[in-house]
Amino acid sequence: MNHPALCSRRHVLHAGGFSLGTLGLATLLRDDGLLAAPVKPVTEAGEVRFDLLPKVPPRPATARAMISLFMMGGPSQMDLFDPKPALTKHDGQPFPGVIKYDNLAQASAKVFGSPWSFAPRGECGMELSELVPCLAGIADEITLIRSMHSGVNNHGQALYALNAGRVTAGRPTLGAWLSYGLGSESQDLPAYMVLAHPAGLPTFQGEHWTNGWLPSLYQGTLVRPTEPRILNLDPAPLVRGRPQERQLALLERLNTEHLAAHPGEHDLAARVASYALAARMQTAAKEALDISSEPAHVRALYGIDDPATADYGTRCLLARRLVERGVRFVQVLNSGQSWDHHGGILAGLPASCRAVDRPAAALVADLRQRGLLDSTIVHWGGEMGRLPVLQNDAGREKCGRDHNTYGFSQWVAGGGFRRGYVHGATDEWGHHAVENVVHHYDWHATLLHCFGFDHTQLIYKREGLAASLVDGQPARVVHELLG
Amino acid sequence: MILAAAALAGSVAVAADEPSPTWEGAVRPILKARCMHCHGEEEPVEGGVDLRLRRFLEREVEGHGPLLVPGDTTRGELLRVIRDGEMPKSGKPVTPEELAVIERWIAAGAVASRPEPESIPPGLYLTEDDREWWAFRPVARPAPPTVANAGWVRNPIDAFVLARLEQAGLSPAPEADRVALLRRVSVDLTGLAPTPEEVDAFLADTSADAYERVVDRLLASAAYGERWGRHWLDVVGYADSNGFAETDSLRPHAWRYRDWVIAALNADMPWDQFIVEQLAGDELAGVTHETTASAVTDPGRVGQLVATAFLRLGPDGTGDSVPDQNLARNQAIAEQIRITTSALLGLTVACAQCHDHRYDPISQADYYRLRAIFEPVYDWQAWRTPAQRTYSLYTPEERAAAADIEARAVAIDDEARALRKRLLDEIFEKEIVKLPEPERGPYRLARDTPEDKRTDEQKALIRKYPSALATYSLDLYDPKLEKQVADKHGEATALRGTKPPERFFMAATEVSGRVPESRVFHRGDHDQPRQAVTPGELAVLATPSIEPFTPTPPASGSSGRRLAYARWLTGGAHPLVPRVLVNRFWMHLFGRGLVATPGDFGRLGERPTHPELLDWLAGEFVAGGWRLKALDRLIVTSATYRQGAGGEAARASDPDNRLLARRTPRRLDAEAFRDTVLQASGRLTAGGGGPPVGIARDPVGRVVVGREEKDANGDVIKVASLGADDFRRSIYVQARRTTPLTLLETFDAPEMTPNCEQRRSTTVAPQSLAMLNDSFVIDAARALAGRVRADAPGDLRGQVRRAWRLLFGAEPSRADIDVAILHVAEQAEDLRSRQPAPAPAAEGQPAPPVADHQLDALASLCQVLLASNRFLYVD
Repeated sequence: MNHPALCSRRHVLHAGGFSLGTLGLATLLRDDGLLAAPVKPVTEAGEVRFDLLPKVPPRPATARAMISLFMMGGPSQMDLFDPKPALTKHDGQPFPGVIKYDNLAQASAKVFGSPWSFAPRGECGMELSELVPCLAGIADEITLIRSMHSGVNNHGQALYALNAGRVTAGRPTLGAWLSYGLGSESQDLPAYMVLAHPAGLPTFQGEHWTNGWLPSLYQGTLVRPTEPRILNLDPAPLVRGRPQERQLALLERLNTEHLAAHPGEHDLAARVASYALAARMQTAAKEALDISSEPAHVRALYGIDDPATADYGTRCLLARRLVERGVRFVQVLNSGQSWDHHGGILAGLPASCRAVDRPAAALVADLRQRGLLDSTIVHWGGEMGRLPVLQNDAGREKCGRDHNTYGFSQWVAGGGFRRGYVHGATDEWGHHAVENVVHHYDWHATLLHCFGFDHTQLIYKREGLAASLVDGQPARVVHELLG
Repeated sequence: MILAAAALAGSVAVAADEPSPTWEGAVRPILKARCMHCHGEEEPVEGGVDLRLRRFLEREVEGHGPLLVPGDTTRGELLRVIRDGEMPKSGKPVTPEELAVIERWIAAGAVASRPEPESIPPGLYLTEDDREWWAFRPVARPAPPTVANAGWVRNPIDAFVLARLEQAGLSPAPEADRVALLRRVSVDLTGLAPTPEEVDAFLADTSADAYERVVDRLLASAAYGERWGRHWLDVVGYADSNGFAETDSLRPHAWRYRDWVIAALNADMPWDQFIVEQLAGDELAGVTHETTASAVTDPGRVGQLVATAFLRLGPDGTGDSVPDQNLARNQAIAEQIRITTSALLGLTVACAQCHDHRYDPISQADYYRLRAIFEPVYDWQAWRTPAQRTYSLYTPEERAAAADIEARAVAIDDEARALRKRLLDEIFEKEIVKLPEPERGPYRLARDTPEDKRTDEQKALIRKYPSALATYSLDLYDPKLEKQVADKHGEATALRGTKPPERFFMAATEVSGRVPESRVFHRGDHDQPRQAVTPGELAVLATPSIEPFTPTPPASGSSGRRLAYARWLTGGAHPLVPRVLVNRFWMHLFGRGLVATPGDFGRLGERPTHPELLDWLAGEFVAGGWRLKALDRLIVTSATYRQGAGGEAARASDPDNRLLARRTPRRLDAEAFRDTVLQASGRLTAGGGGPPVGIARDPVGRVVVGREEKDANGDVIKVASLGADDFRRSIYVQARRTTPLTLLETFDAPEMTPNCEQRRSTTVAPQSLAMLNDSFVIDAARALAGRVRADAPGDLRGQVRRAWRLLFGAEPSRADIDVAILHVAEQAEDLRSRQPAPAPAAEGQPAPPVADHQLDALASLCQVLLASNRFLYVD
C-alpha cells in the first residue's frame, strides 16, 4: 500500500515565482547530489547529517504524512466513543470498584451514566455518541481505539506520553522525530507545522511542538491563529527579486563562515537552513495558507461558513493544504486544556464537540476524495480520558468527570490503519482498558511502523547513548490496527 | 506460580553477599509508588492494610494470615498478592526487579533501619527520606575541592567546575577572545552590546584587572537594572493588564512596580529586603487598606507599598465582567500562589491545590496553610477588585487643596444649574402666553409637577403644546443663553484643572483587624470547604528542630502573617529560597541552571549537575548579605564563565554542556535582540520609567509600538509614531497579556500565564522571515546605514568597518570588506537600473524626493549583517 508519491516528490528548485539564483544553490546542489543516491537512513551508523531533505525509510511505508487533531484536556470516552450501559443502569449508585482519582482525598464514588445516547453507525456498526454526528458519517473510514492507556494522571506527563513518547518533559515530540527521520517532501515549507487556536495556546505551550534534544531544525513552526497566518511573507518592494537573492547569498556566506568557527552547534546550522526555507516560503506559504481559491462546496464541507465551526474548519482545511504540499506533520491545537471537563460537562462537552466534529470528519472525507487518505494519517485524541464516576457532586450544572489514563479512546484514519474497525475495550465501566490494551508507546511504535521505521531503530545518538521515541519502554507494533 | 516464586526466592539466597536493601531506601519507595495510594495515604485504607510504616506490616490481614514473615520468602500475603498479579489492582504492576528487591529484604529479616513512630496521623506521611531530599536539606557550604590544574582556578566556582571536568577526563576550553568576552559580559549584564569605543578602551587596557573594571562599570550602569529587572519580571509574571477575562483590561499603575524593581536592582538592594518588601511591604510600612494615605509622604514607605504589587501581578478578572465572580476570585488567588511558590520555592506547590502532590511530599493541607498566609490580603468573601486595591499618592496638603478646589467648583456648577433654570423659566413665561388663556393655569401646574407624578391629562396637555415646556434644551431655544450656562460650567472645569495632579499605585494590603478563616477546599472547590487550617510552612520543611515562623500582628492592624513568612524565607535557614535564587542567576548567565528545571526542585525536576557548587553559591550569597551584584561579579569573573567555544570533542561528549567545559553560544533573547538592534542603529532612547510605551495593532495585524489611527469604521489605517518613545528599551513597552509585541513574541518572549520560570529559545522560519521582511528590521538597517555613512562620509570601506564594529564589536577581515563593498556596489547598480528617473515636479508642488540608491544599498548590507548569526548569537 505504498503511496506512489512516497519519496518521489521533489519540487525543490523552482518553486513559484521565486527563482533561487545563487542563493543557497550550493546547499541545494549538494543536497541534490545526495538525492541522486538514496539518502542514508538515519538508523545506520556513520556520520549523521541534519537536514530536511526527504529520506527513504528503511522499510516499506503506508504513510507519508500525519495530521494530529490534538484534544488537550482529555475528552470523555464514555460520552463520545465508548458506550457503557452499566453506567446508565447504575447511574447515581456507588461505584463498586477501586477508583484512581486524580484527587487523593475523597471524591464522589457515584456512578455517572452518560447523559448522551449512542447508536451503531456506518456499515461497520461502530457505536458512537450523538455528540459526534459527523464522525458517524465517516465511521467506516476510521479505526476507533477504545483501550488506550498511559497510566499517568497529570495533564503534563500525560501530554508528554502521548505527544512525545514518555512521561518526562523536554523530549522531542512525534512531529520532531518524523521530521528527523523522514525530512520534508517540501523544501518550501517547514516539515512540521502547528496551527494554533485563536483563544490561545494549549496549557503546555511550546512543549507541544518542541524538538526536545533533537537539533532545533526539527521543531514545529507555529502558524498564527488569524490572518496573516505567517507574518512577513512579502519582501519590501525595494529588494524584491535579485536584490533579496543577493542579500541571502551574502548572508549564507557570512553564516557559513561563522558556523565553521562553531562546529557542531546545531542551532546555528538550523538558522542557516531556516533562512533558505524562509526565502522559499515567501511564495509557497502564502499560496498554501490562502484558502480563497477553495470552492464553496469545500468550505461548506468543513463548516467554514458556520460561526461555530469556522475556525476549526479553516484550520483543518489548512492542514489538508499543507500535507498536500508535502508538509510531514501538522498538529491542530485547542486552547488551554479545553476538554478537561472536571465540571460543567453537560454544557461544556457538547460545545467542545460542536466546534470540531464537522471539520474533523470533513478532513477525512476530503483527504479520501483526493486520494490522499491512503498515505496520510489523521488522528483525533487527547492525552487522557475520564472517569465513570461523577466529579463535583454539587448539582447538574457543576458536575463533571475526573481524569482517567487507565482506559480512554481515540480514533485514527488513513495511512494504513484499518477502516471501520473498533479495537480493544475497557471494563464494563469504561474505567480500565482490559482488552487489547494500547499503551502510548505501542501507539507510537505503530505510527513509526506505518512510516517505515522500526521503533527501536529510529534513534538519535545522545551522550553516547541511542535515544528513541519510545526509549526503554516495552513497545510493540499493534498490527491488528493495520490492514 | 508457586514454583516460580520458590525459584526466585532461591536466587535471593544465592546473592546473599550483596548488601541487602533497606526498608527506607529501597522497599518503602516501591510500595509508595505501587501500593500506598490505597494502602495508607487515602481514606479509607483498603482492607485495613496500611503500608506506610514497617511496623504496620506486622499486622495480620483479616482472614489471610500474616502480611510478611521475616526471613521467609515463601509465605506472607504481601509477596503472594504481588506474585499472583492480584495487586496492585490498578496502575503499573510491580516489576520483577522490584519484587526481587522486596524478596531480598524479607529474606534478610525485613528490618527497618531507623526507629519508627508508634502511630502516625492519617494521610500523607513524611519519611526521613522525604525530608532528606537534596533540596530540603539545609544549605551546606562545602569547601571548594582541590584540583590538579589549580592554575586555571580564578575563584572557588572554578574549583567546583574543574573538579567535575577532571573526573570526566575533560579540560576547560581556552578563554574567549577579548572582543567576544566583552560582548558576552555586556549583553549578560546589561542586555546591550559594547560600543566600538568601549571595545577599543578594553583592548587598549593592558592592566591585569581590565576585565574586572569593565565588569564593575557594567554593574554600575543603569542598563543593569533593566536587564536583570526583566529576568525578575518574567518570574513574577509582570504585565500591564489583568488577563483572565477576554477584555484583558489594563493595569494602568503596574509600571510603578516595574520601576521599583529596576531601581532596587540598580541600587543593589539586598535580596532578603527585596523579597520581604514584595511580600509584606505594607506590614513593614505599618499600614492597612484604610491607612495607606499615612505613608505617602515617606518615599521609603511608598517604595515598600509599591513593592507589594508583586502580590497583585497574577491574572485577575474580578474587575471585569466574568461569568462566575467567586470562581474568578479564587482563581486569582490560586494564580498568585502559583507565582509566589514557583518564584521563591522552586516547587510545583500549585499541584497540591486539589489533592496531595503526586510526586513531592506536599499535602493539600500544606497548600491551604500556605494560602492562609495570604488570605488576609485576598479574602474571597470580602473581595477587593483591582481598582479597589489602587491607592492615591496625594499628600494631606494636596488632598486638602484638591478638596477645597472641588468645593468651589461644585458651587460654580450649582450656580450654572440655577442659571439654566432661571433662563428656562424666563422662556416659559414668554411661551405660556401663546397658549389659550384657560389652558395656561393647568399647563403651569403640569410643568411644575414632577414628570413621574403627572396625570394623563397633564401629559396630554404637554404633548399638545410641547414647545412651551422649556424645562430642557435651552440651546434649541437660544444658543446664546446656552453658552452663558456652558461658560459657567467651563469655569468649574477649569478650576478643577488646577487641582494637584493625582497619581496612583497598586498595592496589596490587609483590611485592619480582619483575618478570614482559612479552610481546605475539597478538590480545590471553594464551594466545598473542609477543615480549618492556620498559616504554616510546608510540613516537609518544618522539622521538629525548626519552627519556621510565628506571625505577630503589628500595631497597624494587619495579621503579621506575610511579614513573618517573608522573614523566615529570607532568614538564611530556608533550604530552598537561596538555592532557587542563585540557580536562576546562574541560568541567566549560562543559559542553563545548575538545576536545569529552575521552577521544580522536586522529584520530577532535574538533579543539580554541580550540587556542591549550588550550595556553595547559595551559602556565599546569604553570607555576603544577599547582594546580587556581588554574586554576578563573582560568576562573570570566574574562569568558567570566561571560556571560549571549545572544540568539537567537548560538544560531542557533552552536547548539553552540563559539565561546562566550554561556552555554548546563546541567541539574543527577545528584548536584547530588539534593544541591541535599536542601539546599533543609533536610535535607542536611553532610560525611561513611567507609564509604558503604547502599543498598536497595525493594518497587517502585527502588534507594534505606536498609536492606532482609525478611520470612521474603526479600522486602523495607520500606526502613528510616538517619537522617541518608539525606541525605548523593550522592558518599558506595554506588556498586555493578550497582545504581546509581535516582534518580541516571534523571538520567544513568554506568554504570562501566569508567569515564566524559564524561556525557550527557538529557531524557526518566522524569525528568519522577520529578519528579511519586517519593517522594524528594514527601518533599523536603513538607520544604521545612515549612521555609518555619517560617521565615515564618502568612505565606503570606513562605513563597512564602522557597521562591523557597531554590530559585532570586531573589525572585518579584508575578505569581509571586499564582499561587503561588492554587495553595496551590486545592489546600488541594480536599484539604479530598476528605478526610472523621477518625473519632474508638477507646478507648485515640492520636488519628489530623490532616491538615495547608495543609502539603500548600504542599508541592504546592514540588514544582512543584522540577520547574521554573528549578530544574533553571543559567543
